[in-house]
Amino acid sequence: MGELTFNLLAWFTLLSAAGVVINRNAVNAALCLLLCLTGVAGLFVVLEAYLLAFVLLLVYAGAVVALFLFIVMLLDTSGAPRSLPRRLPLVARVLAGGLVASGVLSFSARARLPVSEAVAAAPGVGGALKPYAYQLFTTYLLPVQVLGFLLLAAMIGVIVLSKKFEGLEDVK
Amino acid sequence: MTLEAAKLAAANNLWGAILPELMLAGVALLLLALEIFLPRRQHAVLPDLASAGILGTLLGLCLNWDSGMLGAETFGGLLYHSTSGQLLRAFFLIAAFLTCVIARLTLARQKMPRVEFYHLLLIVTAAMMLLAQTNHLLMLFVTVETLTIALYVMVAYHRTSPASLEAGLKYVLMGALSSGLLLFGITLLYGVAGNPSLAGHAARPFHYADLAAFLTANPNHFLASLGIVLVLAGVAFKIGAFPFQIWVPDVYQGAPTPVTAFLAVASKAAGFAVLLGLCGPGAVFSAYAWLTTPVLTAMAAASLLFGNLAALTQHNVKRLLGLSGVSHAGFLLLGVVAAGATPMALGAIYFYLFAYLLAAFAVFGVMAHVAGPDDADQELDHYAGLAKESPFLAGVLTVGLGSLAGIPPLAGFMGKLFIFLAAFQAGARALLAVAIVGVVISIYYYFGWLRAAYFETWTPPADAAAGPTRPARTPVGLLAGVTLGALALASIVIGFYPGPLGHWLAMR
Repeated sequence: MGELTFNLLAWFTLLSAAGVVINRNAVNAALCLLLCLTGVAGLFVVLEAYLLAFVLLLVYAGAVVALFLFIVMLLDTSGAPRSLPRRLPLVARVLAGGLVASGVLSFSARARLPVSEAVAAAPGVGGALKPYAYQLFTTYLLPVQVLGFLLLAAMIGVIVLSKKFEGLEDVK
Repeated sequence: MTLEAAKLAAANNLWGAILPELMLAGVALLLLALEIFLPRRQHAVLPDLASAGILGTLLGLCLNWDSGMLGAETFGGLLYHSTSGQLLRAFFLIAAFLTCVIARLTLARQKMPRVEFYHLLLIVTAAMMLLAQTNHLLMLFVTVETLTIALYVMVAYHRTSPASLEAGLKYVLMGALSSGLLLFGITLLYGVAGNPSLAGHAARPFHYADLAAFLTANPNHFLASLGIVLVLAGVAFKIGAFPFQIWVPDVYQGAPTPVTAFLAVASKAAGFAVLLGLCGPGAVFSAYAWLTTPVLTAMAAASLLFGNLAALTQHNVKRLLGLSGVSHAGFLLLGVVAAGATPMALGAIYFYLFAYLLAAFAVFGVMAHVAGPDDADQELDHYAGLAKESPFLAGVLTVGLGSLAGIPPLAGFMGKLFIFLAAFQAGARALLAVAIVGVVISIYYYFGWLRAAYFETWTPPADAAAGPTRPARTPVGLLAGVTLGALALASIVIGFYPGPLGHWLAMR
């Protein structure tokens, strides 16, 4: 039962991820991304990481994809003439295809993690809110504070790069 | 996690250990507050406040150099305080101060907000200082992201200039790719090291010591080696080493001159701080030296050849410095490769970084005086007749470029000599040969620049009557003059007499 659910969700995620890349319409691509994220959240639920699944749905599926949709609709790319990318030369195509194929093959051939009782017994990471919150405010307080400065720098950056500054002549 | 464990973890958060970083962050916030509350005509004092804050922090750091924290882990193992960490903290503070000096010259020519620039500079500096002491992959990623995101804004700061915006966009795209690679690598390492069914699995897989113990117990794991290669690729983007140097010329050209200088010196040093923490002697990845040494060797050789050959054909001085920076990354990588076999290489790398700091900021300082309103347009031709018009700037340029090229008796020569000695001791002969070829090529383009500054090209009288086509040069002010003079003097003194600094760096 668990394996069937996992396989279904994994294929769902992969197919919708392929949809993001293949779709020519940006709105459809963003909606495929939404499906993909939902699939990943489902995988997290299967892995008993309920908190991660919840956060993924809330932040990424809820906020980030909505932001993507906003921007795609604001830009309105439908009127622009479509420019097709030039086709790659045959050598480059063979080379790139070969690299991807060998990467996937070596990964699937060698990258196997042994499964044992110990893995099954280990508690799910990010499973519950309370220990997560405790750690956020004790062990990981410093990174949280640094991230606060990251967000501040990003906000200042948006203001500096987008706002019109007038009357700066008197500033030396 | 129980409440007791939480209390224990909170008690280990010794904020006094990162007082310099907290001071910088406090000054950064103060700048924003003062910008709101001070009347606009008093805003001129704010850049001075930022510089004073940096100098004050540097002074405080030097006075408390041997603080009780040295050799201890704080914040539950997130940070590890060491002498090399102190050294890099001082390095980043000096670089930030010199960037402030250059920023005054460059920003004065543009109609742009001033205060935010210094605010971002202080945040980047504080993040780099934390990065130099990180002992934890999570902390590593958080600090790298903080400094990179603030640098995106600083690169695009001349937002009226298309070149600056293009540089910003390119830097965002390449930076996002490199962060993705780094994060993917970290995730793989975390997943493998935390797997309870593998021998010696780590309780805290992000922690350097735990991860190193796991890697020693599993020296041939495929997923772990994949993670290590991805992490190295992410770091190689930051230091601009081949084959991840694609962004360097365009970003260096488009970014404002002070930001280019800061990227070239501080951002590169930050990348090497990470690299030494991961691949240095006895560091996290030392059990995978069979993998990291060939990868770093190939990267060093390719960076040395690519950087120097590509710089040969450049006419824009910022692109030239960017590509020569790729070759400097190659020299430093040579030191990192040697560090696995000989401990002397570590001191050599720090000496090289300090020599590079002195020389690069001297050259960028001269560039800020020669550049016109269009900051991206700085050609070799603009240096025509510099020696006649301003012998001081030409002299500083000569010392700076000579030191970058590695001409004896300047500091850059000693830096290269120490690195080469370390490489010789470590037995990296083939790489050493490539590096010497790189030095010979680099002399050609550095001296081409000096030729432009010292020898006038003949112009037809008709063109000469129309006046020079180059932008007007800025006269040398007191602060900039003293700083540039001090940088040139330090390059000469350390070159003639490397004893104390070299001894001190090697003996740490």
